[in-house]
Amino acid sequence: MTKYWRSIDELNNPVEFKKTEIKLELDAKRVGIGEQSSSSRRDFLKTLGFSLAAASVVASCKKPINKAIPYLIKPEEVTPGMANYYASTYFESNEYCSVLVKVRDGRPIKIEGNNLSSISQQGTTARVQASVLGLYDDARFKSPIKRGSAVTWEEADEYIIKKIEQLKGANKKLVLLTQTIISPSTKKIIEQFLTANPNAQWLQYDAVSASGILKANEGSFGKALVPDYRFEKAKVIVSFGADFLGTWISPVEFTKGYSLGRKVLDKNDEMSRHYQFESGMTLTGSNADVRFPIKPSEEKTILTALYYQLLQANGFMTIAAPGSPVDVKDVVADLLENKEKSIVISGSNDTNIQILVNAINNLLGNYGSTIKLDKTVNTRQGIDADFETFISELKAGEIAGLLCWGANPVYNHPAGSDIKNAIEGLELSVSFADRNDETTNACHWVCPDSHYLESWNDAEPKAGVYSLAQPTVSKLFDSRQVQDSLAKWSGVAEPNYYEFIKKHWKENLFGLQSEFTDARTFWNDVLQKGVFESKNNISEELVYSENGIDEAVLLANSEQKGWEINFYESIAISDGHAANNPWLQELPDPIAKISWDNFAAVPVKWAEENGIVNESVITINGIELPVYVQPGQAPDTISVALGYGREIAGKVGDGVGKNMFALSAIENGSKKLWVAGADVKTTDKTFELALSQTHHSMEGRPIVRETTFDEWQLDPTSGNELKKEHEEHDVSLYPEPEFKGHHWGMAVDLSSCIGCGNCSVSCQAENNIQVIGKEQVRNRRIMHWIRVDRYFTNDAENPEVYHQPVMCQHCDNAPCENVCPVSATPHSEEGLNQMAYNRCVGTKYCINNCPYKVRRFNWFQYVNNDKFDFASNTDLGRMVLNPDVTVRSRGVVEKCSFCVQRIQEKKADAKLDGRKLEDGEIQTACVQSCPADALVFGDLKNPDSKISKYFKNERNYHLLEELHTLPSVGYLTKVRNKTS
Amino acid sequence: MSDYFLGEKCIKKVSFLIFLLVFISCFTISKDLYSKPETSVISDGHSHEDINRGKRVFMGLLPFNSTHESCVSCHNIKQVDTLNWNPSAMAIAAKFADKDFESFQQVVMQPTGIKMEASHKNFNIDEEDLKTVKIYLNDLAHSGVDPAKPTYNNLILFLFLGLLITWGVVELIFLHKIKLKFIPLIIIIGAFGIQVRMIVTDAIKLGRQENYAPDQPIKFSHKVHAGDNAIDCMYCHTTVEQGKSAGIPAANLCMNCHVLIREGANSGKFEISKVVEAAENGNPVDWNRIHNLPDHVFFSHAVHVGSGKLDCAQCHGAVEEMDLMKQQNDLSMGWCINCHRETQVDFVDNKYYEHHLKLHEDLKAGVIDSVTAQDIGANDCMRCHY
Repeated sequence: MTKYWRSIDELNNPVEFKKTEIKLELDAKRVGIGEQSSSSRRDFLKTLGFSLAAASVVASCKKPINKAIPYLIKPEEVTPGMANYYASTYFESNEYCSVLVKVRDGRPIKIEGNNLSSISQQGTTARVQASVLGLYDDARFKSPIKRGSAVTWEEADEYIIKKIEQLKGANKKLVLLTQTIISPSTKKIIEQFLTANPNAQWLQYDAVSASGILKANEGSFGKALVPDYRFEKAKVIVSFGADFLGTWISPVEFTKGYSLGRKVLDKNDEMSRHYQFESGMTLTGSNADVRFPIKPSEEKTILTALYYQLLQANGFMTIAAPGSPVDVKDVVADLLENKEKSIVISGSNDTNIQILVNAINNLLGNYGSTIKLDKTVNTRQGIDADFETFISELKAGEIAGLLCWGANPVYNHPAGSDIKNAIEGLELSVSFADRNDETTNACHWVCPDSHYLESWNDAEPKAGVYSLAQPTVSKLFDSRQVQDSLAKWSGVAEPNYYEFIKKHWKENLFGLQSEFTDARTFWNDVLQKGVFESKNNISEELVYSENGIDEAVLLANSEQKGWEINFYESIAISDGHAANNPWLQELPDPIAKISWDNFAAVPVKWAEENGIVNESVITINGIELPVYVQPGQAPDTISVALGYGREIAGKVGDGVGKNMFALSAIENGSKKLWVAGADVKTTDKTFELALSQTHHSMEGRPIVRETTFDEWQLDPTSGNELKKEHEEHDVSLYPEPEFKGHHWGMAVDLSSCIGCGNCSVSCQAENNIQVIGKEQVRNRRIMHWIRVDRYFTNDAENPEVYHQPVMCQHCDNAPCENVCPVSATPHSEEGLNQMAYNRCVGTKYCINNCPYKVRRFNWFQYVNNDKFDFASNTDLGRMVLNPDVTVRSRGVVEKCSFCVQRIQEKKADAKLDGRKLEDGEIQTACVQSCPADALVFGDLKNPDSKISKYFKNERNYHLLEELHTLPSVGYLTKVRNKTS
Repeated sequence: MSDYFLGEKCIKKVSFLIFLLVFISCFTISKDLYSKPETSVISDGHSHEDINRGKRVFMGLLPFNSTHESCVSCHNIKQVDTLNWNPSAMAIAAKFADKDFESFQQVVMQPTGIKMEASHKNFNIDEEDLKTVKIYLNDLAHSGVDPAKPTYNNLILFLFLGLLITWGVVELIFLHKIKLKFIPLIIIIGAFGIQVRMIVTDAIKLGRQENYAPDQPIKFSHKVHAGDNAIDCMYCHTTVEQGKSAGIPAANLCMNCHVLIREGANSGKFEISKVVEAAENGNPVDWNRIHNLPDHVFFSHAVHVGSGKLDCAQCHGAVEEMDLMKQQNDLSMGWCINCHRETQVDFVDNKYYEHHLKLHEDLKAGVIDSVTAQDIGANDCMRCHY
């Protein structure tokens, strides 16, 4: 028999060795026991508890005296403890959204979608939701600043007015650099300023501009415009790298249209087909029916091929179409079949590509039907070439003064450091930023603007579509609206922008309607609704011309070799303007599920060949980036998000990720968001990423059920056959739960859900969900009550992607409920799985027994804790907390409550009025602002409710229904309109 | 990660230290409160003697031959002054601190208002004496009054019981003076039992404040308003049927009546002038909050009063008989739940309850004869805790 031994001692004297070994082991154990018994946490708590109780008796503790301070004069519309809603307008970083602001006791605490807006249609994005936290950001300027030290407005005005006069006298150039301005009144103020100062010039600059589209349309239609895309009317959608559901032009509006055109509930519903050509996996690409991973340089070749093939099909051309890297025959056939009902778009900033896109759309007759030219979109007006001229003038010293508002070129332009040096040498440089950024830091003066929730404003996001913004809180700091500053500097003694807007509306917009005969009632009506659309739209006929098409179809003859790096705006951070917002930083990327960093998304095959895994570090043109191995990444391409790597943003945003604007290129005067021939090197280093979902597969379980549109038309239960089987096995010893009144339920249409994460942030704002930071996200402790799971299937080179929002399923036979030793999570009479925080002792049994993993544990005190220095660590940041929801402390479990505070509020309203609740009256935070209308909430006991109809739909199934947990959340199968 | 927690080893030491600290601080803090302020502010060149003299005049000790009642007989010097309608010395001091002697003299010697005229009748005070009173009051406004002595009955009893236990243990183990061993044993067990009971009852009471009736900045009487004048509760607490809170009336609402009524039957002009001043000068009144719900509870007056049609008195007691508002019930969870078990819901008239089909059927079939709040889920956790 072979003898195994562990040491020479054992080999030589096994008996003695055994004895000493046992003795040593026992000694070690005793030491351990001794240590344990002398310092157990339980003992500590016991002693502490007893000493506190005894001390309270002994010292007869005084109870704190609370004050109750009533109003002096109670405002009529304010009831303490009840929320008011005010319509307003969000416009930041080229994104427009009409919103309702929830104000509780004088503080705006939540943004909701405005259902009256024809653009955002009650939808929002995560960025809009998070903007309310931006109001309570302690990085905001508290007063005007001169070279780093606080000054008064009088001092600032005196100096700046004098300086502007001097510049005017010397006829030196003064530039007002802004982001795109969509406010008609502001434009008028700027006009006034320019008239008062003829040496001044106004320039609009966008970090990610639409100059390609603007220039192309100037060529094709004689007018620089961004058309109105109507995705709901399109039967075929072909997108080249445009992330129109995520960040491109008007994502909320496009998502609404897109989901409307793809809603399949009843027999005759139609569904559009979506082709996506892109290099990195974008949110839009993950929703596509057919996706082609391509290199950015191939985009033009494919478009040209598409154009030629369409021409041929229309009988215009006889020469052969150029070869295309991917076969576009099916796309061509589909497009031809759906003439006037298709849409072709490109996210490129290359004018030639956009001219090609215009030609294709014209060929398909899409103008006037799916692409409208009468209601042009105003949200991106900046022309890159103009800004390049500005830079050369700045460098040449031809500009003496700069007023910078909302633009941050030092950060988001590749020539940032040159711009910074030039600004520092200017005679006058003023920034209007409300918090510090890279450009503001270079300016001598800061005249802080007010936050949009503190300001009056108006907007014209689309021609003829107007909206108003109104202050929802008095100014928190000594800020002043830029419009007032500019008016003051144009010689208006007592500027009042509010009166100015009112006057402008009375003079210019009042006449566009006939409903109201009095300008005051018109104003009040619009102020209440937030939006106004003029009915009598007079627009000129625009005629398509083939300008520039000959040049556009000329292909670069040399084929691109080497790496191509593609830069994209991430869903959470977009262009980086809100990088100091912890809610957005912690929102996981919808595809990679990574928060708190940007990363290099590399193709799977290359990673396998080179031994690269997630969290390996590579260098791209010298910049070190952590790797995420991205299924579906086109070969020879790497995608990296923009918006990260802010250096001067605030305590949250500083130094998160790497700045990719620095690598972007300027080509033909336009900012090009991809570079070819990049130098990519692997390194031995690793970098930890905060991945919140590492699993890519469903482990063989039918978590997402799917079908294709064709199969669904034949059999609506297709893909959901398992449900029947499970129902047959649905036998229980326990009686079926009975609900006497309501039974709340939620349905998720997986086909509509695009995975944008708006629900997560909306829920975070509503339910006081704490930010926990990168390290804790890495430890799998992310607190989001509603998470969006993402799964990949099929080919890793080009997979299919599924987004699945998962919140507490409120099971009627809940596994969590019967394992709680203290009954902290019982079931309610209305089918809610309740969570009583003050009962919870934190055993976490419920978390372990929940098959859906939706329960969250407060591992630490996240509020008022310097270790978690985010919004909730300061009084200012805590002002955003919803007073109707408990702020959970350390050691308790929390989870989705179906927004029980909203249920209670609406029920109370109905009881008070003595009426029944209407269907759809109660909307949870996630449902309210879902841009894709993927979520439905309601009473399952009401047979006519929308939720009941969804539950009866053949596509409806429950997560892990084989476990017989009887969830109150239903999912509708994912339907893809694949090509057969 | 370890730095999030206390080092394991020092836990015991720390707990002991905390215990010790709590005890020591209890004594030191109370000592600090008693030590008299060392420096008494002397304003306008007045000496301690003047102040003392003024105090004596105020107390009625000087002059010896005074025929009228002393100031202190109406104007209490103590901090706690709940049952006295007249302004306390402190309140007067605060009011006249920055006014000159002439105006003070005029108010005292030529009183206006029925109540003050009656009590200040036949006042015969020397101007010199009155001046010292003013000096005393000025000093009082600066230094404040002595705080009321806290009672230590509980502490003394607790310590005494501790002594008893110690004695019993010593007797049992060392002394053996009493032959019947069960006597010290009974004493030990009994004393310890009482101690535990004291701790438990006080621990339960932590955060609860039944019968809490703090002094208010204005001697506002619910008895006068709701009782004598029979003003409806909802005239002032306007939001009780729509809002979560019943609402403490804003000063401008008080002025609806007090724009005319400037003198009260009990308190004269002094108290009403405070609310007038608040409304005119824009200084809101800092009321002391009486009804504090325990933490993590959400309560809506609208549901209880607006749709539940509960009478205010059911929770707040006979407010119309309270000169000084007090908390009638302990606002504990048991109290809420018991009421939910018993209270019947207006199930027929309120159309909202048509949602509860099953209960309506049961009612019709005679399975149940009434529906209580509990039956419609009022005792679910998430009705109040979310």
